[in-house]
Amino acid sequence: MSKPEFVYTTYIETSAEKLWQALTDGDFTERYWFGHRVASDWKIGSPYKFAKQGTNTIEGKVLAFEPHKRLAYTWDPCAPNAHGERTSRVSFDLEPRGKIVKLTVTHDNLDEGGKTFRDISGGWPMVIASLKSLLETGRPLPADVKSNAAQEQSRA
Amino acid sequence: MRKPEFVYVTYIETTPEKLWQALTSSAFTKLYWWNTEVKSDWKVGSPFALVTNGTTTDVGEVLEFDRPRRLSYTFHHILNEAAKKERPSRVTFVLEPAGKLVKLTLTHEDFAEDSVVLSGISSGWPAILSSLKSLLESGSALEIPPPCGGIQ
Repeated sequence: MSKPEFVYTTYIETSAEKLWQALTDGDFTERYWFGHRVASDWKIGSPYKFAKQGTNTIEGKVLAFEPHKRLAYTWDPCAPNAHGERTSRVSFDLEPRGKIVKLTVTHDNLDEGGKTFRDISGGWPMVIASLKSLLETGRPLPADVKSNAAQEQSRA
Repeated sequence: MRKPEFVYVTYIETTPEKLWQALTSSAFTKLYWWNTEVKSDWKVGSPFALVTNGTTTDVGEVLEFDRPRRLSYTFHHILNEAAKKERPSRVTFVLEPAGKLVKLTLTHEDFAEDSVVLSGISSGWPAILSSLKSLLESGSALEIPPPCGGIQ
């Protein structure tokens, strides 16, 4: 059986440099990642973390850092109910195509049927949609998209 | 084993009605779908076709048309010989309002074993739906080079 992995591709009208900054700069991630700031010195093997309003939400270490091309890190949610799952891995691949950049997010090494797999399968489409909107229109998606989407889901 | 399917979710700052029109109006699809026109009278059971620059690439039948919530059609690629031999697959769009946004879920499923259509659409849909989101939010679609093989 194939291991679960989550792959999401989008195309953004921007430059690889701007997209790279959006992925690695805390001021930038806070705007489209629903308040989550990323922080790291981005050396291979160094720790990194996401924090929202001072509370750590995701942490891990840097696996790959090839500016404007490829970023990868391990992914360890700080939520207590994800503990016990193995540490998963996220890679971002950036490929310029004329005036556009193709962005592929691959999240793998996930536990089959685990909480992390469920969370990230719902989360990446929102985060990446918001990132694309911010880079193309100057406006991220509204922060209430998460609660609205959750309400719609519970209603369904 | 899990059945092979392709699922793509995105969030677009628009209304369900505008998004519905973007999915079902050929004047609209031409703008973001590599100049492709969707052709149908959209009655359940009616034929459906995708026509790019005058060439019909895909045909099918309308399965559901629940405006502006749920659109479904069968999908049979007829340009590529290997794909032509496969049974038709099925495409479903679900539109759910989420505040000022619409959550769009595309599910493309019911593929033959080792489907060549599945690999084609897996690269095609993200480009098409990315371009659609750009068009609805910024007013201009993306100029993405079409993938090789011509199966979208």
